[in-house]
Amino acid sequence: MLALIGLAYAGLAWLCLAMDRHHRQVTGAAVGAAFARSLRLAGSVALALSFAAAVAADGWSFGPVAWFGGVTAAGLALVLLLPYRPRLAVGLSLAGCLVAILDVAAGALLR
Amino acid sequence: MKYGFRRTMAWAHGWAGLVVGWLLFAVFLTGTLSFYRQEITAWMRPEWRPGPAIERSLAADRAEARLKTIGRQANRWLIDLPDGRDRAAHLAVWRDPGQAPRFQREEFDPAADRPVDARRTYGGDFLYYFHFDLQMPSIWGRLLVGLAAVIMLALIVSGIVVHVRIFKDFFTFRPQKGGQRAWLDAHNAVGVMALPFHLMITYTGLVTLMFLYLPWGIDLAYRGDRAAFYAEAALAQSPPAPTGKAVPLVPLGPLVATAEAHWGLPAGRIDVYRPGDAAAVVRIHAADSSGLAHRRHQIAFDGTTGAILAVEDGRPAGIVRAVMYGLHLGRFAGPTLRLLYVVAGLAGTAMIATGLVLWLVKRRPRRQRLIEGLNVGAMAGLVIAIAAFFWANRLIPAERAGRDDLEAVVFFATWAVAAVHGACRPHLRAWTEQLGFAALLYGGLPVLNAATSGRHLGHSVAQGDWMLAGFDLAGLAIGLFLGWLSLRVARCSR
Repeated sequence: MLALIGLAYAGLAWLCLAMDRHHRQVTGAAVGAAFARSLRLAGSVALALSFAAAVAADGWSFGPVAWFGGVTAAGLALVLLLPYRPRLAVGLSLAGCLVAILDVAAGALLR
Repeated sequence: MKYGFRRTMAWAHGWAGLVVGWLLFAVFLTGTLSFYRQEITAWMRPEWRPGPAIERSLAADRAEARLKTIGRQANRWLIDLPDGRDRAAHLAVWRDPGQAPRFQREEFDPAADRPVDARRTYGGDFLYYFHFDLQMPSIWGRLLVGLAAVIMLALIVSGIVVHVRIFKDFFTFRPQKGGQRAWLDAHNAVGVMALPFHLMITYTGLVTLMFLYLPWGIDLAYRGDRAAFYAEAALAQSPPAPTGKAVPLVPLGPLVATAEAHWGLPAGRIDVYRPGDAAAVVRIHAADSSGLAHRRHQIAFDGTTGAILAVEDGRPAGIVRAVMYGLHLGRFAGPTLRLLYVVAGLAGTAMIATGLVLWLVKRRPRRQRLIEGLNVGAMAGLVIAIAAFFWANRLIPAERAGRDDLEAVVFFATWAVAAVHGACRPHLRAWTEQLGFAALLYGGLPVLNAATSGRHLGHSVAQGDWMLAGFDLAGLAIGLFLGWLSLRVARCSR
């Protein structure tokens, strides 16, 4: 469940950063076209991986339910944090990835 | 043309939202709290400390022995077995017309092999039932909530239509802009982020009561015999006619073990029809935690021999309904997924609340005294009333007769007083005062618990009793949030 939420947060944060308005909000500058494309790609991949993590953890019946819940919670956290602490909001995406990696590694070790 | 269509939708969204918003706020808030129904009940019965978890087959045997004492001449017994969150077994007894009492129920502690010895309270069940029947007589509450749910679906769809830049504004929230812009952003953000939940919970909510709302297809196909439909769909059975020949009921424990071995899933519910009669039938259902589909698996046994009569795993249409039902209740969810359900439910509550506030903000500087008063009374008032319900639970003496109904009276009376206060005070002052009062009530819950039960936060955390500690901590968190909100409103009103 931690991997799901961490990856969902990272995916949404990168998709958000790929948008001009939010890139300005975080860095003060417009986003380059190539960077925006890679952010969109990375964000989509992270969201897809979060779905895979959900299904791997909870199976095909509960997994998708958990995924919708996880994406919703991650999205709410991002949207509420962004106007107050824009850099932290985007920086947390790296923490989300780290949590996901640790969660998957711990799962693999404990198996 | 397109402009006209959107304008029309925006108009409908605003007015329909205003008409049912207060009711929907109450349904969403109490419904969201219902995901913690068992935890709330546990906090409201502090003197009962459940024993260790025991085998379900043993619990079934003990419940059966208890029902043989309290449930004579019954046409049906119902046993809801304990699970990880609720260590009590719930027993119910029905009798034929002419026998008294027609219905009785008891909370039973299978580990201690005696009835649950605690204060009488509706506990979390009060909020659960309120969220769909509003404590109204007969089916009026259910009809009202159903109507509101249909309008909610229309509101969600019209909201999507009206929200022109749904993708461009996906992450947009500009609180610093203030006024209408900020409220609209907030309304959109909680609406869009939890949109799958809003659609799911509203639609599946209607599905849970679909046979009440739309019975006519059944009436046509089954020529008015609804019982025949329920039996064929394995939703509910009528007790078989009694033979009058007394034959002892087969022990239930081994049947539970047989059913669990057959499914590889835990059993959750046992239905016994005509116990002690030669016509006896026992139906065992898999636990709610076993899958998305609610009560999909059941096995019927002969109640005198224990032979399997039927194994029912549902048919496609029934399974579709059962999955929607299960999704609405979320009883399959573990602690984390349950928390996600609650987060999404609170987002829905916030969506309705921001929508109602937005209706007023949009019309500023024109004042709408009636709507202002109703907003405070329906929203802050309900938040206070729920806290007052918890306080009443601990302040009404545990031994007092009729105390469970008195708790409910305190809930409604507090709500009424808050509504009057909200209508009389200047608008922002009313919000500040009610949110501040609510903050004290919620923040004080751990103190109240420590003072009236001795199982204070330090104790429950040390014991690893997270059900009780979770309630206290949630009270503290809600209190802090409401206090912050109250200060924010106070700053606006200056």
